[in-house]
Amino acid sequence: MDISISGETRTYGPGTTVAQLLVLEKVETPEYVTVAVNEEFVDAPMASDRVLRDGDRVEFLYFMGGGRQWA
Amino acid sequence: MGLSDGDLERYSRHIILREIGVGGQRRLLAGKVLVIGAGGLGSPAAMYLAAAGVGEIGLADGDEVDLSNLQRQIAHSTADIGRPKVQSAAETLEALNPGVRVNRHPGRVTAADILDLVARYDFVLDGTDNFPAKFLINDACVIAGKPFSHAGIIRFRGQLTTYLPGRGPCYRCLFVQPPPPEAVPSCRQAGVVGALAGVIGCLQALEAIKFLAGLGGLLCGRLLTFDALSMAFREIRVPVRENCAVCGPDPTILRPSDHEMAACGLGE
Amino acid sequence: MSAKAPLPRPGATLDITDAVCPLTFVKAKVALEDLEAGQVISIRLNDGEPAQNLPRSLKDEGHAVLGLTDNGDGTFALLVRKGPA
Repeated sequence: MDISISGETRTYGPGTTVAQLLVLEKVETPEYVTVAVNEEFVDAPMASDRVLRDGDRVEFLYFMGGGRQWA
Repeated sequence: MGLSDGDLERYSRHIILREIGVGGQRRLLAGKVLVIGAGGLGSPAAMYLAAAGVGEIGLADGDEVDLSNLQRQIAHSTADIGRPKVQSAAETLEALNPGVRVNRHPGRVTAADILDLVARYDFVLDGTDNFPAKFLINDACVIAGKPFSHAGIIRFRGQLTTYLPGRGPCYRCLFVQPPPPEAVPSCRQAGVVGALAGVIGCLQALEAIKFLAGLGGLLCGRLLTFDALSMAFREIRVPVRENCAVCGPDPTILRPSDHEMAACGLGE
Repeated sequence: MSAKAPLPRPGATLDITDAVCPLTFVKAKVALEDLEAGQVISIRLNDGEPAQNLPRSLKDEGHAVLGLTDNGDGTFALLVRKGPA
């Protein structure tokens, strides 16, 4: 099946879950990434067994903090 | 409000634009914008707000200028090293446009004073460089019903979005809570290309200007991301989170707090 | 200009012979913004760039250019009716 990830089309096997996608896409700091599928947030994406379908649009939202880690 | 000949000339490039005109410029002159963080993002943002004639600009920052700032924090100069950023940036803005009133808010913004602070302004710009501050600003603006621009930069990437009360997601809808210390790289560790701060900071200024002048097309419900290596802008549509702790229908965050700052070792 | 019905009398006047473009346009725009739709203004402007550019600029803004009269002293009188809001 073809899904769009950050705007680019990728082909994955049917039955791929959101949790598996995070691993397969080698997402950095997956514990702190927000995942949206078809403009809906997916809770606890690292544990998500939501199955992706052909045509799904996945977006990864990353923290971007700036010059200093903490105050 | 009558515009002097000097104002007509200074803002002529705005007034000529149909979408702004004299009416729009008057709205800018009557507008009040708070810039929290006079650093990489805040510097270019505040400078363009002053250039645009935003009537009142608040600058909030607790830091002093240091040498490594000058690679991107263009409101400050080499002679300002060691001086409070608020003072240095305020002087830059006043020199650029003496007709603008610049309010100095020295010191770090905290939960105790942020609500009173944002209440005085029409629009807030988050130019901060740490996550507790970003969540503090978000929560305060949601609670106070103030629109604000959120932005962040790292390495060659930046992003921004605009919160309009009641009309779209807030920062917590997107990111829920701050990450623990060291979980996400900072610019000090990972670096940032200086001009990127200019790109994203100026986009923030544009959002504030568009808001004040009544122009449409704000980034409400949209996260704009930029990759400076590929020069690609992308837009991610983002929804309101149903059970958001601060902007949702059953909020549990009813007052801003510094707890998150304390928990991550502020003052270590 | 061909002979037509006489031009309407202006209800307002503006002198921008002391300004250079684009300030001429800016000042004209400001003056028109303060009028009601349908009101007529006579604008005194210099020959050259203002006389060449202003009529078109104001028409693009949605106003009606009624006539341009040579004052004989290097300036012109531009008669403009404010367009609908």
